[in-house]
Amino acid sequence: MSYRFAKRIALLGGALALLSASFIGTIVAQEETTLRYFTFSAAPDYLEELDTIIAGFEEENPSVTIEVETAPFADYFTLLQADVVSGDAPDVFELNYENFVAYAANDTLLNIDDLVTGDAPYYPRAVEAFQYQGEQLALPATFSTVLLYYNADLFDQADIEYPTIEWTWEDARAAAEAIRALGDDVYGLYSPVQFYEFYKKAAQNGDCAFFNAEMTESTINSPACVETVELMVSFLNEGLMPTAADLSGVSDSELFLSGNLGMLVTGIWMFGAFEEATFNWDIQIEPAINQHAHHFFANGVAVSATTDAPEAAAAWAEYLTASETAATVRVEAGWELPALDQPEYFADYLAITPPANRAAVFMALESPVTPPVIERQTEMQDTIGALLTQVVDGELTAQEALDQAKTELDALIQ
Amino acid sequence: MRESNVALNASTKPSVTSPSPTTDSNRHSLSLGALARGLLIYAAMALIIVVMVLPFLWMLSTSLKPQAYILDTTPDLIPNPLSLESYTQLRERIDLARVFFNSTFVAVVGTIGQVILSAMAGFAFARMSWHGRNVVFTLYLATLMIPAVVLIIPQFILVKSLGWVNTYPALIVPGLFSAFGTFLLRQALLTLPIDFEEAALIDGANPFTIFWRITLPLVQPAIATLVIFSFMGWWNAYLFPLFVARQESVMTLPVALAALQGGPRALTEWNMVMAGGILAILPILLVYLLAQRWFVAGVVSSGIKG
Amino acid sequence: MASLRGVNKYLWVGVFLLPSLVGLIVFTILPIVSSLWYSLHDWNLLSAPEWIGTGNYIELLNDPSFWTALRTTVLIIGLYLPLAFVMGLGLALFLNARVRGMVWVRTATFLPVVASWVVVSLIWKWLFNPQYGLINIALGAVGIEGPAWLFQPESAIVAMVITSLWKDVGYVALIYLGGLQTISPTYYEAAQIDGANRWQLLRRITLPLLTPTMFFIVITLLINYFQVFEQIYLMPMRDSAADRRVEVIVTEVVKNAFSYNRMGYASALSWVLFAIIFAITFLQLRLQKRWVYDEGV
Repeated sequence: MSYRFAKRIALLGGALALLSASFIGTIVAQEETTLRYFTFSAAPDYLEELDTIIAGFEEENPSVTIEVETAPFADYFTLLQADVVSGDAPDVFELNYENFVAYAANDTLLNIDDLVTGDAPYYPRAVEAFQYQGEQLALPATFSTVLLYYNADLFDQADIEYPTIEWTWEDARAAAEAIRALGDDVYGLYSPVQFYEFYKKAAQNGDCAFFNAEMTESTINSPACVETVELMVSFLNEGLMPTAADLSGVSDSELFLSGNLGMLVTGIWMFGAFEEATFNWDIQIEPAINQHAHHFFANGVAVSATTDAPEAAAAWAEYLTASETAATVRVEAGWELPALDQPEYFADYLAITPPANRAAVFMALESPVTPPVIERQTEMQDTIGALLTQVVDGELTAQEALDQAKTELDALIQ
Repeated sequence: MRESNVALNASTKPSVTSPSPTTDSNRHSLSLGALARGLLIYAAMALIIVVMVLPFLWMLSTSLKPQAYILDTTPDLIPNPLSLESYTQLRERIDLARVFFNSTFVAVVGTIGQVILSAMAGFAFARMSWHGRNVVFTLYLATLMIPAVVLIIPQFILVKSLGWVNTYPALIVPGLFSAFGTFLLRQALLTLPIDFEEAALIDGANPFTIFWRITLPLVQPAIATLVIFSFMGWWNAYLFPLFVARQESVMTLPVALAALQGGPRALTEWNMVMAGGILAILPILLVYLLAQRWFVAGVVSSGIKG
Repeated sequence: MASLRGVNKYLWVGVFLLPSLVGLIVFTILPIVSSLWYSLHDWNLLSAPEWIGTGNYIELLNDPSFWTALRTTVLIIGLYLPLAFVMGLGLALFLNARVRGMVWVRTATFLPVVASWVVVSLIWKWLFNPQYGLINIALGAVGIEGPAWLFQPESAIVAMVITSLWKDVGYVALIYLGGLQTISPTYYEAAQIDGANRWQLLRRITLPLLTPTMFFIVITLLINYFQVFEQIYLMPMRDSAADRRVEVIVTEVVKNAFSYNRMGYASALSWVLFAIIFAITFLQLRLQKRWVYDEGV
């Protein structure tokens, strides 16, 4: 009996030993300087490109090693916050513009004014975007923008002119009507009624602003804003744009790719995906309302305020965002565009087709607009998004929705 | 109805009578009623199988379609053309071998640990009477009532301070102590007649021997059930591993597969996502089939004759 | 066990209980206590928590979205639980029959259980598609016009309950099966010798001896479904009325914790949920003496 007993104890012990063996393997030796870099844009498609850039940096800085951690965008900020909370933030990490303000305001980013060379050729607008209260708290890594894509074949079929830089949304409406007439399952255009499109159309309108200049009150229910929302919703109401029920789970990009959508407003990141299209397509700057405005999305790279190696970290951040190696690797791979004012980097980029009209990407930079950012950003976006959906569903008029939005936004900026 | 004087080394004569009342003994010969009932039963079996399995066949068929054909909304089950490109793409995107190993290792060690700990604790609750037992059991149950999401941050901080991030202990140790298994086995033990254990006690056995040699064999079906659920929990775990295992050397399958879904700024490759889903199911299915045998065997060996 | 007394008994209790209990305390109970602590603070994760006492709780009790979420959660439980309980039992009794090929049926019912919700939601979103999903096509074939399913709140809830039942019924049946198999055949043999028929076997032996298992199922389903999350998060069609309006408590918790960075508020929500679940479970534990048969001490 005691033999059996011992055998059982041994089994238990074996299991525990297995556990602790895996523990032992975790003791890691630290040598020289190792930097942890956390990113969302590199995975899953651009890890090799990132390795190339890292190799270039490590060659110039032999005593530094970079360790990469990645996460999908949906989880990235949650994981980053968890790291910050536990006091062990990555040395260098990626941020997008909307989240930059929250991190900057909470003293989690290192001021790198003095740690960078200062002569990297960033776009001025991009550099400013990552300043907070006069301090440079991140460096602009990439930018992207949103443009009008159009299915040239459908335009030919409907016998209408391709979009030009003079177009307004009324021109787009006329074109959409012509294309819609081509068939029951062919739609004219798609420009979603949501937060991002709203603030951009507001800028195109010119008179609509979500908040007043001092950021003490919301002005989202002004007549100009109501007008803007009504414009956005009109495409749905006139049947030129598919509703969620019409799409039935197919994404707008998938609809475009299937050849059943005349015009689509989406970002330049879709170039790669649309290469597979079986029809001719091209891009153009977005139509104006009273003026042009285009999204300016920027990703930045920041150094943690709690890093042990500030000089090395800042050097890596600068290399990643401004070095020739990094820029050329990015452009070649189509991995977003470096926020650098260096036309020679983009010469090759401009030559690739489709789309042929890549110059529109840079033309769009002449009328950039960044989102309104407050500390309780996600709540604001969710609130506005929900109210816009109610307008789309016909539950509220544009005026009612925006009046409600004003009340809620006022509460959020307290 | 209780049997007394039962021998410890129970005879393994299987009971002929099924414990379920839905099958008769052989009283009726092949009457029309029996035939109709038989057909009905087989029809029901077929229906259940179809309802349960068909959606997965669709998933399998999507995984075998080339990317361009996924948007085809015609519901054809047999892909034409057939393509394995999603699986090869999957292999290129993630280190399948490593990730599979990680998931398997974590699930196996975790399941063994969880089952042992749950069985022991369940025994303490079901077979021993002690001061404060109900309070402690309520404490166990209470831990199941807090949404795990809100514990992630404190648990993460704890694991980080132990230096376990990106190591196997982080994936295994915190999950070993789930109250679910203890609850399950306690209930199963409560169903057992206490006679055999009392008899052994009179014979002078110590509690551990009784536990190991008598009690556990009698609840093999419940243990088999727990093995299945425990393995499944470990295998499919996503939220906590997401936080603590970010390097491919320790990353588990659900986390690796989730990363494939691209963001709002990409077209999700559904065939690849489905391929990943199919691969994720297969091992648990295997465990289930293996544990099933144990299940049935457990019934056979628990036949007891006075 | 009645003959173990004094110090020796507590030693044995310690041997069996402590490994599990100590781990539970360190890895679960301590974090739970932390979350209670956080619920009394305003915390955006990036800077230090700020004490606000009961502020979060007061805010949440006055927040209409909390009450809506609670109502939706209770509605889902009310629809799902009785069906899961009964269907699981029926399925288990059916699966327990010694019929050739039943193993395959058992395996088939378990397939949905092992699949992750990510995968299951993808499949069923397609099936419930109002235009080309199999379900509305089948309904159309018998002349019924199918609803908008995952686009509208009410029908979305029904769709999610149906999907949950499909996914879980094998699980519930498996637990019942575990209980069924543990019932000693001697009971049946003795009863059959006494001339009992099938229904009497079911009513007088099977069901009473299954009550501990039933108790387990009711408790775990309640605890699990008050915390229902994945289906609600994954299934409603994006940007639809269903997506906007169907919220349960845990989706509110996740939203506040990870989207809105309001960790304190999210913790308070979790604790209110805990209080609700605890009260109900406590009630069940008290009531169990009335209907659960046990051979424990």
